[in-house]
Amino acid sequence: MLTIENLTKQYGKFLALDHLNLHIDKGEIYGFVGPNGAGKTTTMRIVCGLLKATSGSVTVDGIDAIKQPDDIKRKVGYVPDFFGVYDNLKVMEYMEFYGSMYGMERQEIDDISEGLLELVNLSDKKDAFVDTLSRGMKQRLCVARALIHNPDLLVLDEPNSGLDPRARFEMKEVLKNLRSMGKTILISSHILPELSELCTSVGIMEHGRLVTSGKVDDIIDASQGNQPIHMKVVYAETEEPLNQYVATILKEQPFVEKVSFTDDEVLIHFRGDDLEAARLLNKLFDHHIMVSHYYREKENLESLFLEITGGEENA
Amino acid sequence: MRKRLHMNPIWKKELVVGSRSMKMSWAIMGINAFLTIIVLIVLSITNMSAATSGYRYATLIWLFPILGCIECGLISLIVPVITSGSISGERERQTLDVMLTTPVTTFSIAVGKLGSAMSVVMMYMIASIPVMAIAFVLGGMSWWALLGLFGMLLYLGIYVGSVGVFCSSVVKKSVVSTILTIAIGIGIIIVTTVILYVVIATQSAMCDAKGVAYAGPGAAAFIMMLNPYSPIVDFMMRVMMGTGIDRLMEEMGTKSSIILAISRWWIPCSIVINMIISFIFLKLAARNISVTRNRK
Ligand SMILES: Nc1ncnc2c1ncn2[C@@H]1O[C@H](COP(=O)(O)OP(=O)(O)OP(=O)(O)O)[C@@H](O)[C@H]1O
Ligand SMILES: [Mg+2]
Repeated sequence: MLTIENLTKQYGKFLALDHLNLHIDKGEIYGFVGPNGAGKTTTMRIVCGLLKATSGSVTVDGIDAIKQPDDIKRKVGYVPDFFGVYDNLKVMEYMEFYGSMYGMERQEIDDISEGLLELVNLSDKKDAFVDTLSRGMKQRLCVARALIHNPDLLVLDEPNSGLDPRARFEMKEVLKNLRSMGKTILISSHILPELSELCTSVGIMEHGRLVTSGKVDDIIDASQGNQPIHMKVVYAETEEPLNQYVATILKEQPFVEKVSFTDDEVLIHFRGDDLEAARLLNKLFDHHIMVSHYYREKENLESLFLEITGGEENA
Repeated sequence: MRKRLHMNPIWKKELVVGSRSMKMSWAIMGINAFLTIIVLIVLSITNMSAATSGYRYATLIWLFPILGCIECGLISLIVPVITSGSISGERERQTLDVMLTTPVTTFSIAVGKLGSAMSVVMMYMIASIPVMAIAFVLGGMSWWALLGLFGMLLYLGIYVGSVGVFCSSVVKKSVVSTILTIAIGIGIIIVTTVILYVVIATQSAMCDAKGVAYAGPGAAAFIMMLNPYSPIVDFMMRVMMGTGIDRLMEEMGTKSSIILAISRWWIPCSIVINMIISFIFLKLAARNISVTRNRK
């Protein structure tokens, strides 16, 4: 469906995309994650024909996005990260405006819009002015708009950014509907747990390169056993400051890579499996360290993402 | 296969949006009030002179060039304002990107923006018909003159509008774009005039040196065809005096029958040239639209 080969984009001297390779099959929902400035938006804009690549190729359904930008525009629907709407324009007119840009007849646009507005749960807003809609509604309207010409590939750039939990939930419902309709979607986000629930595959991007890419489950499986342990120590028999003592003891233990302290928790980066984790807890008892809670983080994309990208980023 | 003619979607949308904003109604009212005041002033001057030298309807004929010039002036000021945000506004409110992901060409975006500005010009013109008609009936003008004037106004609107859309594709701020549009217009007028002046000055200096009589600028006068107002001047001259720029050139001493023949066709020639220039401005605007700017 979408194939990106050796895609490189340079802004002046700055290398935003560095020989990026990516393949998405039909019907897949591909999640694109990465810290700010990783190059997600740049990739998406090239796929939509908005930006010229420095080198490399992008094909959608066999059509070259760089050589045939006009054909690609009929194949791709794009929801940008930031977008605006017009004043004094009603929801239905908004749809008609964009439909007519694809040369569609008014009747056809109206019929399709009915269905799309229903899909994004805006049927009751047909006659509202677009600039009066809430942020979440605008975002959903933009998704409906991007689908007006029935594109093969839908490109969503952070459709959840700036939305409150309720609006996020609604957006997720829309995306789930699209998934069940068999749409191929390329979606970028910072909100990783939502992506892992929604996506069939993900790619983690950093500095213009894909660090990891594949099926969600495969990626999680491959990195099993790396999750940190959270622990709370209430008392230890020692003259030393508590944290210092605990850190010294922990660092002597196998599989412990790093120990850090938050307000009231100890975070242990641990490479062992669950049995080793249990052994570690026993050792702590042996040292008369009294632990009130002790649990291992469940592996998810979020922690994986933080691990891969060095943990500097707050999602 | 039947292919229906589609109206430019951008033009159509702007019409819908424009008709909802109150700005236009206010502007139309303002312009009509202004034109009415002018008519009243001319009428009262005629009335006052009637007390001393008898009522002369003929002075009312001056309503035509006065109102015509005022309308040209208004278009030269209003159109730059209307078009100033046409492209930069889309960029600013971040609607341009989405527009560019559709198959609509950047040229038809530019044309749509120009078209919507022209619809506004047309509204103004239609709204001013009553005032103009009264003035024309009083002044004893033919309806053809009125029609001709409207044609001239449309042409001028297209010219100024194309420059305006171009400026909006270059400049971010609407105010700057408005000023730039007007400046380009004034610049073209000044540059063409200065060139013609220099040509005339050197030619006549050469004639003086040789001791022959100066016979006018000849073909060099055609540089004034680049002045977008020159066909309007020619048109006004023809309506008011029955003769145009060609007569002026003849009086200056131009002998060449080809040059005189061309200058007799000043209006179509100049309009065609200036419409080509408009087209070029629109093409340049289209090229600028497709350049996605640095964001953030
Ligand atoms: N027009 C531009 N000119 C120069 N540099 C740019 C331009 N657009 C983007 N960049 C740079 O390219 C890099 C990648 O940007 P991009 O917007 O693709 O990142 P992103 O992954 O979408 O980030 P975010 O999470 O912030 O949306 C960034 O370092 C950015 O500063
Ligand atoms: Mg981005």
